Amino acid sequence: MTDTADNIIVATDVEKYYNNGALHALKTVNTTVKRGEVVVIVGPSGSGKSTLLRTLNQLETIESGTIIVDGVDMYDRNTNINKLRENVGMVFQGFNLFPHKTALENVMLAPLKVAKRPLAEVTEHARELMYKVGLADRMENYPSQLSGGQMQRVAIARALAMRPDIMLFDEPTSALDPEMVGEVLDVMKSLAAEGMTMVVVTHEMGFAREVADRVLFMEEGALLVDASPDVFFDTPPHTRLKQFLSKIL
Amino acid sequence: MHAKQKTWLWNAVFVGIVFALSYSVYFASQKIEYNWRWERVVPYIINTDAQEITAPGDGTVEIDERSHQLTLVVDGETTPFVVKEYTELQVSDGDLIFEGDTLATLEQWQIGPLIDGLIVTIEISVYSLIIALVLGLVIGLMRISANPLLRNMAILYIEVIRGTPLLVQIFIMYFFIGTVMDLERFTAGVIALSVFTGAYVAEIIRSGIQSIPVGQMEAARSLGMSYPKAMTFIILPQAFKRTLPPMAGQFINLIKDSSLVSVISITDLTKAGREVVSGSFAPFEVWFTVALLYLVLTSALSWAIQRLEKRLSASD
Repeated sequence: MTDTADNIIVATDVEKYYNNGALHALKTVNTTVKRGEVVVIVGPSGSGKSTLLRTLNQLETIESGTIIVDGVDMYDRNTNINKLRENVGMVFQGFNLFPHKTALENVMLAPLKVAKRPLAEVTEHARELMYKVGLADRMENYPSQLSGGQMQRVAIARALAMRPDIMLFDEPTSALDPEMVGEVLDVMKSLAAEGMTMVVVTHEMGFAREVADRVLFMEEGALLVDASPDVFFDTPPHTRLKQFLSKIL
Repeated sequence: MHAKQKTWLWNAVFVGIVFALSYSVYFASQKIEYNWRWERVVPYIINTDAQEITAPGDGTVEIDERSHQLTLVVDGETTPFVVKEYTELQVSDGDLIFEGDTLATLEQWQIGPLIDGLIVTIEISVYSLIIALVLGLVIGLMRISANPLLRNMAILYIEVIRGTPLLVQIFIMYFFIGTVMDLERFTAGVIALSVFTGAYVAEIIRSGIQSIPVGQMEAARSLGMSYPKAMTFIILPQAFKRTLPPMAGQFINLIKDSSLVSVISITDLTKAGREVVSGSFAPFEVWFTVALLYLVLTSALSWAIQRLEKRLSASD
């Protein structure tokens, strides 16, 4: 917490309950993400890693604590959450593409209707993004005509279309057939190389080791480990993490 | 080849059954010695008979053949009775005429009372359909609102309207609300039908919205869309497509239910039918005709919605 100006996300004492307090989903979570950093969150299912990610753009609300994104206190009463979300792109496990729109229209919709940018500019940018994710020949296809990997790449392009400073990935490859995981991870790697701030929940340990600046380990709502990939995988600093890694590696 | 033969056979059986049913209707009417007189119904649909133009009072006829005009100078009146449109004259220039005499005939097709009734039914249905759709959308959105006031209002409306008979609602709308607010019959009828159908449309729209995966709303909101924007651009277009089949059923019901407004003396197709029966003494023919006209309306609507469904299925 020495150089706070560089921290694009600051989460302090975050508490979250489900089912009217019956389930303590996030237990006093404290973490920060620096601008341009790639942070990967891993942990067993039900550990609260997706919940933590979803609090970062308020798809989940929290009971107490503060989350400051790019200098804006998310839970301040005067904060316009829609404005804040424009700056935080999100990619879902289930893609969630809009099925009634073509791939290109999916990418163009938010810049047109939310940011209200001019059509020509939006079209050009959307085409660039489709090139970037390798789907230049799929712009006019509807989601139902695309493979899972292609859909997830369109979803990434859609999130990037708002020109966000932060990208959140919620298990982006978990719903994909194995042979399609690579194409999505490649797009994410190139995004990381460009200096995008990324928070990624994933089970892809190879990706975490190769791309992440820091890896977080969560279990039962608590953030147990926050370490560099080398330390995280080679000398796990927590017994629970050791057990977890021994099961999946 | 084998499958094709079977299809042909079943189609033949279908046609056979339809013929048998038609014959049984004919046979039943023979049993009660009913004489079918379809030609009696025709004038009530389109009247091709020449109309007679009769004199409004006693007077003298002046005929100007060149300008195709008949003038009757009525005794004791300053303005003469002028006839410009006629096919055949029944009087000649200078004739003395008494009140009620036929001056000329006019051969012009006129739509009969059944078609007049059909037009009223279409008018009522179209107005009610539009209002019910708007009402249903608003109530449907209120029904899924997080605000308990809006949600309870919607539930109350839906339960009250669905729990009482339409016929009773029409009576209440006309005799109570209509009297208090000084509504015309037609307006009262349209409001009653819209309010009734709106409750069902609201439930259809609610179930349509709820059938859209939660992820769609989350994806829309995560892009910075407000709730109304996400509804307008993402959820409702998808829900609309899914609700088309039940919506078609509801609107077909609306057309049929519109026959109930005849109880408050709106001359719709059903009331016109009842009036024509007493004039033509051909009840079977008239009611079959009325049924057929309703069928034409509902089939047209059903066809139109199927077309729309096809067009919207491009993204499937």
